[in-house]
Amino acid sequence: MNNFRKEFTTYSIALIAVAIAINIGGGQIPRLVGLPLYLDSIGTVLVGVLVGPWAGALTGFLSNVIWTLTGLYPQAIAWAGVAAIIGALAGIFGQAGWFQQWWKAAVGGLITGVVAAILSAPIAAYVFGGVTGSAGTDAVVAAFRASGLDALFSNVAQGTMSDPLDKMITFLVVWAVLLALPQRLKARSRGE
Amino acid sequence: MRGNLLYLDKESSLHQLHPLSKLAFTFFFLICAAALPGLDWLLAAYFFLLLPLAGWGQVTAPFLRSSWAVITPFVISLSLIQGFFTGGETVLFSLGRFAFTFEGWLAGLTVAARILVALGGALLLTLTTRPDALMQALTQRGLPNSLAYIVLSSIQIFPRFQDRAQLILQAQQARGLETGGNLVRRLKLLVPLSGPLILSSIVDVEERAMALEARGFSRPGRKTSLLVLRDSQAQRLLRFVLLLLGLGLITLRVWTLFQ
Amino acid sequence: MISLQDFSYRYPGQQHFALQQLNLEIKAGQFCGFIGANGAGKSTLCYALSGFAPHFFRGEVRGRAWLGKKNISDLSLADLAGEVGLVFQNAFNQISGARFTVRGEIAFGLENLGLARRRIVTRVDEVLALMDLADLADRSPYELSGGQQQRVAIASILAMQPKVLVLDEPVSQLDPHGTQAVFKIIEMISQRGDTTVVLVEHKLEWLAAYADRVIVLDHGRLVMDGTARAVLASADLVKLGIGRTLYSEAADLARNKKLVSAPSHLPVTLNQAQALFQ
Repeated sequence: MNNFRKEFTTYSIALIAVAIAINIGGGQIPRLVGLPLYLDSIGTVLVGVLVGPWAGALTGFLSNVIWTLTGLYPQAIAWAGVAAIIGALAGIFGQAGWFQQWWKAAVGGLITGVVAAILSAPIAAYVFGGVTGSAGTDAVVAAFRASGLDALFSNVAQGTMSDPLDKMITFLVVWAVLLALPQRLKARSRGE
Repeated sequence: MRGNLLYLDKESSLHQLHPLSKLAFTFFFLICAAALPGLDWLLAAYFFLLLPLAGWGQVTAPFLRSSWAVITPFVISLSLIQGFFTGGETVLFSLGRFAFTFEGWLAGLTVAARILVALGGALLLTLTTRPDALMQALTQRGLPNSLAYIVLSSIQIFPRFQDRAQLILQAQQARGLETGGNLVRRLKLLVPLSGPLILSSIVDVEERAMALEARGFSRPGRKTSLLVLRDSQAQRLLRFVLLLLGLGLITLRVWTLFQ
Repeated sequence: MISLQDFSYRYPGQQHFALQQLNLEIKAGQFCGFIGANGAGKSTLCYALSGFAPHFFRGEVRGRAWLGKKNISDLSLADLAGEVGLVFQNAFNQISGARFTVRGEIAFGLENLGLARRRIVTRVDEVLALMDLADLADRSPYELSGGQQQRVAIASILAMQPKVLVLDEPVSQLDPHGTQAVFKIIEMISQRGDTTVVLVEHKLEWLAAYADRVIVLDHGRLVMDGTARAVLASADLVKLGIGRTLYSEAADLARNKKLVSAPSHLPVTLNQAQALFQ
């Protein structure tokens, strides 16, 4: 596990700020293309891989806090913890070298997505009454409830339909970005 | 403030309160949202506490607009899902083998009301508090300067990413990029669209870090502040009272749960 | 004030030295221009003078760099923040984003230095007036044009009252209006005499008019060092990939066509050119 202190240099702090801006400002790109996704953790995963798990966790956490502060998506703060874990996982997979091959990155994304879905479900079930507030996903939840699943498992089921795919794509986009990133900047991010 | 924030600049008394006082209200209403026992109490908190406070802050209209814009989908979804799937005795109507019960509906509305009150607390804060004032108040109480920097600078630069994303899309479309097509095709489009945006931002980070260093960002030692926040004995008392009330509510709720 | 002794610097991961055995001394209050072809090491020299090489970029340093009596290698970037100020091309990247107004942005560096609030207020007001930014003081830096942002960036550094101000191609990305405004400010700062100014710039005519001294870099080495007039009139500039002032070009052309008698020095300023052509 990387040294906590080493992860927070002026450079990494500046990177975290930019990463959060990418999360909030760039997350709409998939919708512009017509994909039913909202890739709002590209920055989080990027920081996790480039700097380390602690920085990734902070990026995810703060992203959601700030997103709420802007009023664009007030519910965001409820997911701050899950976002932090996504960042931490990205960092752990990064340190394990999983971003060096595209298929490993994809698997890492899938795993992270499943973890995110499982961790998000209790929040959806108990804080938001089993509901997400968006018609499409709630229709899915309703379908699962109708089939007999209880609130918690319906949310898990709904989550596993979208989160793993979402995170897998996120990890792949980050893998592609890392390919093009100069080695020098990667070294600087690691604190060298 | 620009369009990337809810904050509205007004001369109200609520605006002039110390940020921590407003934060105290937010947490208080969060506790209310979690600990108040029923729909009636929650609605009372919204209409008789939150709304007057919004009025005092001269932000009634935006407050109402934002609360209801966010909560309406929840009310609908919660009414339907809890109405049909949370058990209850009083059946209001049926759809096939699914019965819509009053108790379920009430449970759904109660959850919606909880979200509404918590949301209201957050809205009060964001509508009347400038983020830099809030960060200043927190750094005075020990929040690391680097965290305050991250919050404030990301708030200011994310709109630029939104704009650049739009520009890149338009530029690619002008070059004949088709945004339709099957799912895989659309997925493949993600990289040429987000890739340049992300890469150029990362490259810029180095210069941004240099600029921060040039301003003494990594200097250890106490930092002073241009912004002056006004606090008062009355506000400190208010925060203390809110804390006590909050703790009291929690205790009450926990106690009734164990009855 | 600031000097380099046999100074060499190599970026990490590179074989060759970006700066090789530089010896130069810039006295307090001087206005020194650096010119050179792309890749000559001008930016690296700016980083060396402001401590970013080696403290930010790591890498290897040989020889010494002095700020007054202090060795720059012994001072941290935080120590150097109030002493040597660095301004670079991209105005947007120099806006910290930590503050919501121009006033706040300028004060940011002073807050980091721990200056008393009273003094911060005074200095910020002074700099706002000096840089003609007073009516933009309460606007967000992100609403400003490139030229205005660059002025804010310079103001933010200047407010810290550094002994040496290093500017690395500050106007390259600006439109003519912005360029004019920034040049005016640099001229004013150098005329006040209390700040040593180091400027990397391509507009040779401008350096000819205002710089005391011009240093030429080529492949990391110092190849010419003298008065602006002498250096900029030199025929070697073309060989070094730098080019000449408009006036020199015009005079050279005229000389070749035997329209004027050969001058001892090619003109580098408007006045000199006028003198020659009359």
